[in-house]
Amino acid sequence: MPDNIYEARMAGCTLGGALSVACFIPGAVAVVHAPQGCVHQTFSMLHAMANESEVWTVPEILVSDIGDREVIFGGEERLSAVLDVAAEKNPDLILVVTSCVPETIGDDCGAVCARHPYADRIVYVPTSGFLGGSAKDGENAVLAALAVRAPVCDPVPGTVALVGEKNLESEADQNYAEVERLLARLGLRICVRFCRNCTYATLMQLGTAACFVLRDERAADAGKVIAERFGRPVIPEFPRGLSGCLAFLRAVGTACGVSEEKIEAAVSAESAYQDAMLAKFSPLSGTTVFLGAEPFAGTLAVAREAAARLGMREDATGTEIRLPFYLPVGTAGVEKMLYLWRRSVRYG
Amino acid sequence: MAENGCANPVWPCAMTGAVATLAGFPDLCVIIHGSSGCYYYPRSLLKVPLFSTYLLESEIVFGTIDRLHEVVTSVAATGKPIAVVNSCVPALTGEDLKTALSGETAIFVDAPGFCGNAEEGAEKVFSTVNPVVDASAAGVNIDGVNLLDLFWRGNLHETERLLNLLGIPVAVRFCRDSWERLGRGAAPVTVSVNPSYASNVGECLGSVLFPDIPKTVDRLCAAFPDADADAVLTEWQKAEEQMYYVCDKYLRKYTPPVVAVAAQEGYAVCAKRMMEQYFGSDVPVVFARNRTAAEIPYSINSVEINAAVREAEPDLILGSTFEAAACRKAAFFGITPPDRSRVSVAARPFAGVEGGLMLIEGVLNALMNRQKGT
Repeated sequence: MPDNIYEARMAGCTLGGALSVACFIPGAVAVVHAPQGCVHQTFSMLHAMANESEVWTVPEILVSDIGDREVIFGGEERLSAVLDVAAEKNPDLILVVTSCVPETIGDDCGAVCARHPYADRIVYVPTSGFLGGSAKDGENAVLAALAVRAPVCDPVPGTVALVGEKNLESEADQNYAEVERLLARLGLRICVRFCRNCTYATLMQLGTAACFVLRDERAADAGKVIAERFGRPVIPEFPRGLSGCLAFLRAVGTACGVSEEKIEAAVSAESAYQDAMLAKFSPLSGTTVFLGAEPFAGTLAVAREAAARLGMREDATGTEIRLPFYLPVGTAGVEKMLYLWRRSVRYG
Repeated sequence: MAENGCANPVWPCAMTGAVATLAGFPDLCVIIHGSSGCYYYPRSLLKVPLFSTYLLESEIVFGTIDRLHEVVTSVAATGKPIAVVNSCVPALTGEDLKTALSGETAIFVDAPGFCGNAEEGAEKVFSTVNPVVDASAAGVNIDGVNLLDLFWRGNLHETERLLNLLGIPVAVRFCRDSWERLGRGAAPVTVSVNPSYASNVGECLGSVLFPDIPKTVDRLCAAFPDADADAVLTEWQKAEEQMYYVCDKYLRKYTPPVVAVAAQEGYAVCAKRMMEQYFGSDVPVVFARNRTAAEIPYSINSVEINAAVREAEPDLILGSTFEAAACRKAAFFGITPPDRSRVSVAARPFAGVEGGLMLIEGVLNALMNRQKGT
């Protein structure tokens, strides 16, 4: 039994996690060996997300559609047939992931992939649905499987790779923009978003990055694989909160070999930027708020720091503030949180 | 389904269909015997309380019966009846879960996702529950209500209204009723709001989808000689006059829309017939979501459906927003889930007189908004 059984029970299925990475590689095809209903869930989620962002193209996911017949006679032929369909599209890459059903019925999916004519461009990730772990495990499995295909090469100075962006979070691109802004203060640029809307060819440049920044601890397992393969620093998460931004600048700057002088200049500029941002919320100074329960680990610390910087008081009798159920990224994330606070303080 | 799989499937699995059917009985506790991955989708889709055994891999290896007992015992403390819906892996490992539950007050529905789509899941529920028909039960059952349907609440309200006009009491609502009411027995006759979710309980006298209403009312009047057919038929005729009036007005300015339709067969055929009847439309693309479709081709392959939609260059798409994405310049009106084109919280019907009017109204507004470029 896992250490935290409650967490393990609630942790979702590898398939959703794996597809949340695999579907964001233009030029690649995701193939799922599963009943169709498993893929409908992910497709439906991608569709909802696309509608929210007014993006009308949803990645194509091919599913072998295991049914009654396959669970009795085996589903390998189905997988092979759907690989044929995928290969006809001449993709850069075919990413094959599996649900719990082929694992249970004993399909040798690895062998099917290995003997397929397109084998050199097939990456088989035996996720095995919930039998292979959680949604997080699925994400990491695909990230790691792709990372080990990227050639080891000399780093290009001044470059950073982002790893494990949460493709299904609605503010993924806003978070990216914030990290990009902070890195620019150090004169660094993002060379690869591993894996968000980067082609396979771009993903294979992972090894050129001077340093790797993980989205958060969720991508830690993939981070270990990357650190081991390329032997370069891995920053464990996007910057959280105000002081977290400054610490992030120092950590990334040091990891990328940026001069101490330049790092301190970047920290100083960001501090001034934060002061200017906080000034917009000066009317909150002296107000009393109740921050309530922490919906997402780490949020409370970020919120308390912002409240302290603004001279706000925390007390159970104060205006109730609902903390975000995500971790505010960078100074911009704190700013958005403060707009919600201001609304609550002003209008209840 | 084609032997070489499916791309971007647009319809939920049998397990989800079974859960949606059982969740129509609010006094019944529904437990999904599966992993959290299997639980989250129906839970987020249906937005009703559901339970799960949240299975772990270790329980698959060593057997899931203890875990199932643990959850059933805990849920039984509510004092409510329980239904357990089985998912793919525990259905494959050979455990005799049905027998394991025999001492409990729980029914066991073996509806693993691989056994079909939502409709097959609903069928599994009905064949397992096998609702009792009481020959002496008064009234008529309402069939085809399913929480997965965009229009389930509106359909229910509208059909109850029509039956009230006819003077016929409502017996059991399949499935939006109390489990206790179901236990008292269903009536021997049934009308349907969505024939693709058929319970097959009692003799079905027909659907109350708009084009079918006159015939269904005739049959109801044969079964219930005191029923007041005129009350409904007069309303139906008036509604049809209104439909011709508003459609004629549209057709004075514009040519009949070319239409692509994708939905469960009952709704798809109804929508096609109404577009042909009232707009004189050509409907070159029609797909059914349910495998058992007899009149129109079945597909849940989004890539296949959307390719056909694009090729037809329709003026109007009646389906889900999956299809709407195929041709953004076409007008769209949602008749099957998901419909992410609008916020929808009110009880809109697709069935009944109001359902027919709702469809024509929705279509006209979508077409006119398109003409205006909004």
